[in-house]
Amino acid sequence: MTDLPDLATKTRPSIRIQNAVKSFSGRVVVDIDELNLGDVPVEGLIGPNGAGKTTLMRMIMHSTSLDRGTITLLPQGDASGDGIELSNLPSHRMAHHGVVKSNQVIMDFEKLTIWDSLLLSAAAAKYERPHRIFSEDDAFDEASAETERYLELFGFGDPAAFAKAAGEKKLLDIARCLLLKPRFLLLDEPTAGLPEETTAKVMEEVRRLAALGTSVVIVEHNLDVIWNLCDEVHFMAEGRVVMKGTPAEIRAHRTVVEKYLGEGHV
Amino acid sequence: MQLIGDSLVIGLTEHAPLVLAAIGFALLYRLTGLLNVAYSETVTLGAYFGMWVNTTFDLNFYAVLLPAGILAGLVSVGTYFAVFRPAKRRNVGTLELVIISFGLSIFLRYTLQYVFGYPVRFYDVPPPQTWRLLGTGVSTFRLLALASVAVISLLLYWFIQKSRLGLQIRALASDEGLAQASGIRPLFVTVLIWFIAGVAGGLAGAFYGVGSSVVPFMGWRQFLFILMVVLVGGTRGLGGVIVVGAATGVALAALTLELGQAYYAQLVLITGFVVYLKWRSRRVAETGKV
Amino acid sequence: MNLDWLDSFLIYGFFTIVIVAGLGTLLHLQLGLARMANFGVVGFFGIGMYAFGILYVKVDWPFEDPWQFLVCALCGTLVAGIAGLVVGWLIADMNEDGVLVGTLGFATAVFILATTEKELTGGAQGMGGLNFPFDVGGVKANEAAWLIVATFVVALIIFYVWRVHRSPYGRLLVAVGANEPLARSLGKPTFRIKLWLFAISSAGMGLLGALYGVNERFMRPTNLGVDITLAAMVALVLGGSARVWGATVGVILTVGFFDIVVQNYLPVPREWYSQALPVAREALFGAALILVLMFRPSGILGDMRRDKLMRSLHRD
Repeated sequence: MTDLPDLATKTRPSIRIQNAVKSFSGRVVVDIDELNLGDVPVEGLIGPNGAGKTTLMRMIMHSTSLDRGTITLLPQGDASGDGIELSNLPSHRMAHHGVVKSNQVIMDFEKLTIWDSLLLSAAAAKYERPHRIFSEDDAFDEASAETERYLELFGFGDPAAFAKAAGEKKLLDIARCLLLKPRFLLLDEPTAGLPEETTAKVMEEVRRLAALGTSVVIVEHNLDVIWNLCDEVHFMAEGRVVMKGTPAEIRAHRTVVEKYLGEGHV
Repeated sequence: MQLIGDSLVIGLTEHAPLVLAAIGFALLYRLTGLLNVAYSETVTLGAYFGMWVNTTFDLNFYAVLLPAGILAGLVSVGTYFAVFRPAKRRNVGTLELVIISFGLSIFLRYTLQYVFGYPVRFYDVPPPQTWRLLGTGVSTFRLLALASVAVISLLLYWFIQKSRLGLQIRALASDEGLAQASGIRPLFVTVLIWFIAGVAGGLAGAFYGVGSSVVPFMGWRQFLFILMVVLVGGTRGLGGVIVVGAATGVALAALTLELGQAYYAQLVLITGFVVYLKWRSRRVAETGKV
Repeated sequence: MNLDWLDSFLIYGFFTIVIVAGLGTLLHLQLGLARMANFGVVGFFGIGMYAFGILYVKVDWPFEDPWQFLVCALCGTLVAGIAGLVVGWLIADMNEDGVLVGTLGFATAVFILATTEKELTGGAQGMGGLNFPFDVGGVKANEAAWLIVATFVVALIIFYVWRVHRSPYGRLLVAVGANEPLARSLGKPTFRIKLWLFAISSAGMGLLGALYGVNERFMRPTNLGVDITLAAMVALVLGGSARVWGATVGVILTVGFFDIVVQNYLPVPREWYSQALPVAREALFGAALILVLMFRPSGILGDMRRDKLMRSLHRD
C-alpha cells in the first residue's frame, strides 16, 4: 500500500497523450496526436494484434521510451493542478502517484507465497524498514481485512502456498495491483488465461474501484468484457485511434470492426 | 614533454601483456557472454608453463612462447569441458556462473602449487639487452612483448572481423540457433574461442613472468584491470579493447611517474574506471521496467 | 578457571568460525536476499579493522579501555558503513559485471591504501598495539573471553537476520532480489532499499573486522586478502545462500572441518602444516563453490521455505 490521497475525492485523474510516436526498426508502431484517458470511469482499448495497444501502455508506464511527444498525468483530471510528466518519472514513482499497470505476461515473485505477494501491496510501507523487525503482526493485522477480501473473492487456495498455475499467478498480479489502491489503473489483457467465473469477479472488482474514483483503462481481446464493462471504447489500428465511442456506438460500426477483428465479435 | 615520451614507452612496453590478456578475456566475454574470473589463471599458468619448459628443456625464452601459449589454451579448453559447458547444460544462472568461475580461479591457483611447487620461480634467461627508445631504456623482452601484442592483435582482429571462421564465431555469438541452422558447428567454434582466449592469456603470462617472477597470484593481480579494460573498451569490439588497454598502460606509467608509486596509479585508475562505468550505466537509463 | 583442555589453536579455530559465520550471514543479506554479489567482503571487513586500529593506536584518547575500544570500534563500524553507502550507491543500479568491478575494486583500494599509507597503517609490515580491552588473567584467558564477546556479537547478527526473515522488511528484500522490476512497479524504491541494505551489512562487516584486529593484536595487509571473501562466500553457498543459518552451517563444514578437525585431530604429517594444508584448504574451498553451485545450488539447507514460515507466523 502506498500512502495515497483519500479516494473519496471524486475528481478522476486523467492521462493526456500528446503527439506520441514510437517506432521500432523504422516501422511506426504508435502514432497518436491527442488522446485523453480517464474522462470516464472505465475505458477500453481494443484492436487487432499489432495495433500498438500494448506498446501504448508501455509508453504510458515509460517501460518503452517515446520517440516524440509527451504523456502527462493530471491527478485532478482536467480541473486545476499541474500535470506530472510520466516520462520523467523513475518507475517506482509511478505507483507513488497512483499509476499502476497489470502485466500481460506472467510476472511473479518466485520465492514468495500468495500471502507475501498480497502483503507486499497491502501492508503499510512504514513497516518495511530495516529496524522494524518485530512489526510483522501489526502489518499483517492492519492489512488483513483487504487481504482476506481478495483471498476469498478471487478464490486463492492456501494463502501460505505459492501460486502455481499460470492463471493463479495472473490473478495474483491483478490482486497486487488492486491492493495498491491505484488512482489510475491500466489492465493489460487481465482476463487472458482466467476461467469464466474468475473473470466476472475481477470485472466486478474493477467496476467497484472505478465507482470509487479510480480511472481504469483495459486492453482486452475478450470483447464481451469490453462491451459489459467499459463506458467508452477506443479502437486502435496501425498505431492510431481510428474510432472512439460507447460500446453501442462501436458495435454499430460493425463492418469496420469486423474488418480488423474478424466476424462474430460484434 | 619527457613525461609523455616516458609514459608512452614505459606504458606500452611494460603493460603490453595487459592488452594481450584483455584481448583473450574479451573474446570469452563478448563472444560467449561469460565473465570468467578463472581466466586470470590462464595468465598465471602461461607463465608457469613457459618457465617449466624453459628450465626443464633449457630452451631460450622465444622458443617457450609457443608451448606456453598452447598449453594455456588447452587448459582453457579443459575448463570449458569440465566446468562451463556442464554448468550451461544445467541452466546455471549468470550470477552463479560468475561465482563458479571465482571458485575455479581459486582452485586452479592453489592446485598449481602442488604441480609447480610453492616457492617463487624464475625464468632462466640471460639478462635482456637494453635499448633506448625516446630517451628511456627498455629491455628487449619488453619490446618483444609489445611487438607480439601488436602482431597478435592485428592477427586476431583480422581473424575475427575478416576471415570466414571469424564470421562464424561472430554469428554464433549473436544468435546460436540461427548459427546452427546455417551449418556452423557450435561446439567446434566455441572450443576454438576458448582455445584462442587461453593462448592469449598464456602468452601474456609468459611475458609477465619473464620480466619479474612467477608466483601463483600473478594472474589474479591483473584480473581487476583486465576486467575493467574489457568492460570499458569492449563495447567498441576488439579494437576498443586494444585502445583502452594501451591507454590504460600509458596512464599507469604516467601516473606512476607523477605520483611516485605504482599503487597510487592503480588507485586513481580504479576509481576512474568505476566512476566511468557508473556514469555509463546511468546513461543507459532504466531498462527492465515492467 | 582451569582452561588446560582448551588450547590456543582451538580458541583461534573457533574464533575464525565465529567471524566467518558473521561475515557469511551478512553476505546472506546482500547476496542471498537482495542478490548483490559482493566480491569485496574483505574490503569492508578490512576498512573496519584498519579504521578501528588506526584510531585505537594513533589517537591519544582522554579515556581508557573499555571506553577506548568501544569508541574506536563504533568509529570503525561507522567508517565501514559509510564505505558501504558509497560503494552501495555505485553498485545498486549496475548489472552483475558492474557489481563485480565495484566491490572488487573497493577491496583492492583498501588493500592498496593499507600498504601505501605507512605512517598511518604501518604499511606492508602492519601495525601492532591493538589490545584486548580487558585483562582477565593471561593471554589464553583473554582470548577465550574475546571468543565469547565475538560469539555474542555474531549471535546478535544472526538474531537480527532471523527476525528480518520474519518481518515486512525481509519480504521486501526477497521481492527486490527475486524480481526487481516487478517490485519497482509496486512502488518499492529498490535503489534506496539496496543502498541502505548494503550500508548496514557493510557496517556489520566492519565491526567484525575490528573484533578480528583485536584478536590478532595486529593489523596487516595480508589480512586483507581474497581468502576471507572466499571463506564467507563458500560458507554461505555451501550452507544455503537463502537461509538464515546457511552461513553458519557452511562455515562449520568448511573452516570448522579444516581449522579444527583436520588441524587438531587428524594425524597429518608435520611438514604439511606450513604449506600443503593451507593450500589444500583454499583449493577445496574453490572446488566446493563450483560443485555446490552446479549440483545443489540451494546449498545443504535447501531453498527458502516461505510457505512454512508464513504458515507458522499467521495460521492461528
